[in-house]
Amino acid sequence: MLNMTKLGGRALLAATFAVGFAAAATAQTKIGIIQPLTGPAAASGNYVANGAKIAVEEINAKGGVLGQKVELVIEDNKSNPTEAAAVAEKLITRDKVPVLMGAWGSSFTLAVMPKLMEYKVPMLVETSSSGKITTSGNPYIFRISPPSAVEAEAFAPKVQALGIKKVDFLVVNNDWGRGAADDFSKMLKSKGIQVGLVETMDQAAQDISAQLNKIKNSDADTLIITTAVEQLTLAFKQAAALGLKRRIITTGGSQNPDQLVEHAGAAANSTMHLTFFTPWKPEMSGNPEAAKAFIEEWKKRGYPFAGLTESFRGYDGIRTIVAAIEKAGKAEPEAIRAALWNVELKGMNGPIKFQKAGPAGKESGQSYPGVYLITIEDGKIIVPQS
Amino acid sequence: MGQFLQHLVNTLILGGTYALLGIGLTLIFGIMRVVNFTHGELYAFGAYAVFALSMLLGANFFLALVLALLGGMALGALIEIVLLRPMRGADIDTTMLVMIGAWIIMQNLEMLTWGGVAKAVVTPFPEVPLVIGSVSVSYLRVFVLVMALVLIAATYFLINRTKLGKAMRATFQDADTAALMGVSINRIYTATFAIGSGLAAAAGALLGPVFLAFPTMGDLAALKSFAIVILGGLGSITGATIGGFILAFVEELGAGYVSSGYRDAMGFVIIILVLMFRPTGLFARAERIG
Amino acid sequence: MRRAFALVFLAFLLTLPLWLQDPYLLHILITTGIFTIAAMSLNLLLGYTGQLSLGHVAFFGIGAYVSALTTLGFDVDIGPWTFVHEPWPVMAGFVLAVLISGLCGYLIGKLSFRVRGAYFVIVTISFAEVVRLVALNWVDLTQGPLALNNIPAFALSVPGLGEHTLWGKVPNYYLVLAVAVAAYILIKRLVGSRIGRAMVALKENESLAVSVGIDVTRYLVLAAIISAALAGAAGSLYAHYVKIIDPEIFLFIYTVTMVIMVVAGGKGTLAGPVVGGLIFGTLPVLLRSYLGPEFQWIFYGLFMIFIVFVLPQGIVPAVEQRLFPSTREPPPEALATVEPAKGEPQ
Repeated sequence: MLNMTKLGGRALLAATFAVGFAAAATAQTKIGIIQPLTGPAAASGNYVANGAKIAVEEINAKGGVLGQKVELVIEDNKSNPTEAAAVAEKLITRDKVPVLMGAWGSSFTLAVMPKLMEYKVPMLVETSSSGKITTSGNPYIFRISPPSAVEAEAFAPKVQALGIKKVDFLVVNNDWGRGAADDFSKMLKSKGIQVGLVETMDQAAQDISAQLNKIKNSDADTLIITTAVEQLTLAFKQAAALGLKRRIITTGGSQNPDQLVEHAGAAANSTMHLTFFTPWKPEMSGNPEAAKAFIEEWKKRGYPFAGLTESFRGYDGIRTIVAAIEKAGKAEPEAIRAALWNVELKGMNGPIKFQKAGPAGKESGQSYPGVYLITIEDGKIIVPQS
Repeated sequence: MGQFLQHLVNTLILGGTYALLGIGLTLIFGIMRVVNFTHGELYAFGAYAVFALSMLLGANFFLALVLALLGGMALGALIEIVLLRPMRGADIDTTMLVMIGAWIIMQNLEMLTWGGVAKAVVTPFPEVPLVIGSVSVSYLRVFVLVMALVLIAATYFLINRTKLGKAMRATFQDADTAALMGVSINRIYTATFAIGSGLAAAAGALLGPVFLAFPTMGDLAALKSFAIVILGGLGSITGATIGGFILAFVEELGAGYVSSGYRDAMGFVIIILVLMFRPTGLFARAERIG
Repeated sequence: MRRAFALVFLAFLLTLPLWLQDPYLLHILITTGIFTIAAMSLNLLLGYTGQLSLGHVAFFGIGAYVSALTTLGFDVDIGPWTFVHEPWPVMAGFVLAVLISGLCGYLIGKLSFRVRGAYFVIVTISFAEVVRLVALNWVDLTQGPLALNNIPAFALSVPGLGEHTLWGKVPNYYLVLAVAVAAYILIKRLVGSRIGRAMVALKENESLAVSVGIDVTRYLVLAAIISAALAGAAGSLYAHYVKIIDPEIFLFIYTVTMVIMVVAGGKGTLAGPVVGGLIFGTLPVLLRSYLGPEFQWIFYGLFMIFIVFVLPQGIVPAVEQRLFPSTREPPPEALATVEPAKGEPQ
């Protein structure tokens, strides 16, 4: 514990400085990153940014791309949509980055999207899961994270096995949470499962007991929660304090299960989580060797193991972008956009290859990674065999 | 009925810490005529102090709570001596600007020190709740309520039964006369600010482990303290205590039966209503302290 | 001399886009200009009437939301009724933003001027917080935390010439400049009029003003209306320029930014908010290449304390005293100094 927090703090401080100084340097291939480094989603955003940094150092150690070193320009969207749009404007017009990665939350990504159209710069979406992102006809979007509909489909076979009859939802009040509630409801209803309450919480809310109290008085057998790790921890602790006994399943892949075990303690027991990477069993990864190396490097830097389920996206995202730059032969927005369609990569959770999604003529790219359902039992993470 | 009882229990627990925040702010305003914008940052300081001491340095959780309170008092005294002492005689708006400046500095220092990622404090209390009938509450929250009540009682004792308290009350009534009677105004002001700040830090230290510590946590706490103090009448300790519990009650019921999203709006609506219909607060028939 | 200075400065601002081609710097100047208009409107309350209104961002935000919703359209259910609003042109949004913000200024003025000092400050802060929480939770209307996105760009409709949409940075720059100049002239006229002198008299000595027959509340409410309407205009410009708004537009920190601009520049002076706005609008950008945003805010805080301690009148009056010591007629607003409040009950 001692090490983790200290180092985490120091890393952030270092990131702050790195961002500041990086802007002054030139003659490198720049990649802009937009992540929530502060605010309610800060834990996740910092993990993704750190994963991206490992990828860049690895790439630069091998000579960079097109003979140039890769340089990250990382900006903080402060867990806020307007800020996300503002830093996108800054990265594109001031730092002149030819490609972006971001912006973690669906609402932040959706906020950046008009800027991509305006300036014709592509963005790789590493985390966001709202369906709207790839269906709104933005040809500059390439997403490697699963949309919540895909996540729901992946979960569908487990519904019968778990004996679920009626489900309540507790979701963060933004495009991510609302999108997940919609897509999972649709899937559940198609299987004849009842959907009860859909309660929302503001992303900054700390006291969720009112919503949990309502849920406690419902007759559902399962509660699906969608939010980031900080709020999940609070929700678990407050659910336990209220004596809410129910099967809890979380979606979205931003749970950092080990952190839940550490901070929520016994309150996290018997909860189930849909994650997109299994660092506990790197051999299950779509690219076991790279996964093992990444996990080693992550540990070597003193980052908490819990962050791996989040940070791999940053790592994969940057590797995908660099592969596209390599294929494009030049670090220019239009060339990178065209090249992203031809990228094929072994990602941490399956092959990365973009398929067309959304309205014809202005399709976005969507890659379809693996989804895993893990369980926390007695403070241990249980990973399924398949 | 079970749900209502649960809300009542939650009200008590939340109200205790709200009262601490309110008393701290109202003492400072009542005696010094300073609207203390740093109050929320002292609250955040308390939470981070407990985190740093118990999670990073491995200190005992209860010792960490005591040290957070003392640290808050020291920090409060420092703010008073450095920023407010040179401003004696300045009007209330001018000191407010200085306190806003101090608030910005403190919040961003927290951001620099701790980063933007929220910190969780693991306490020695079990996660399994205490269940009485249909009401269920965690041991940690019960402990928080007890500690808050102890601190409120201690503040009452200090104001009403000690020499320092007597001097504070005299200063509150008439600073000039008190000075003529041999009360050191500077000392009283510093002590007042330190006590008020210590109470805010204690509230943060107690609620930090219940929720999370993060750099902007003080903003809402400060605004809610204003609401509590207005509700009870600026300068009234009893008013602030009752105000704290009323705000908690309205928030709990509002969140439970009206809309959880408007939980934090309740306090501000109360402020506006109270000031429209009873501008001196609900309990301040004659403004007084103690 | 003073006038020549202002004209040279205006000429500089008018020709700026001709030689400054950097889109990012233009972007910064546009947002700075918008916040300067907001600061100018705050100055009317803070500087001229002496009321420390800390909820000012509410009017800015209301203007932004009104304008955005007018042009985007919405449908909301209130009880059994459904209100459907089809998108209107941006000019209509701008006008409505000004009118509705002004109306809110009237209501809040009527209510909050019943109290003074600390109570007034806290009522104004509370008002802004309530508005923020409504914007956050009334998702049907405001989209809440999902943000109002894809707000149309400003479009000027000139009779006979059709509609012109301001896509680029340069037209937006001139639009903001034009509104800023209009706001400046409006405030200048107002302050020079009988109404303005009554406001300043109020600040100097409220009980004296009352005794000579000035209707205090009437003038304060009038100042609140004009101030809120101008802030609403700035909010509308902001919404159609950045094209996305969310409830965090109502955060207290934005009011504080405006307050710093006014206090640092010189409250109660015409040029104060302009100077303060330009300094604090552009400074963060220059600092950002070298320092994290936290340092920028710490600097703001230190600067605020420094100004209050060392230059309580602000930069503009201090510089003016150096540059134009011979000015025969000192402006009435420069007389304001920090002195113990008389209206505050001790």
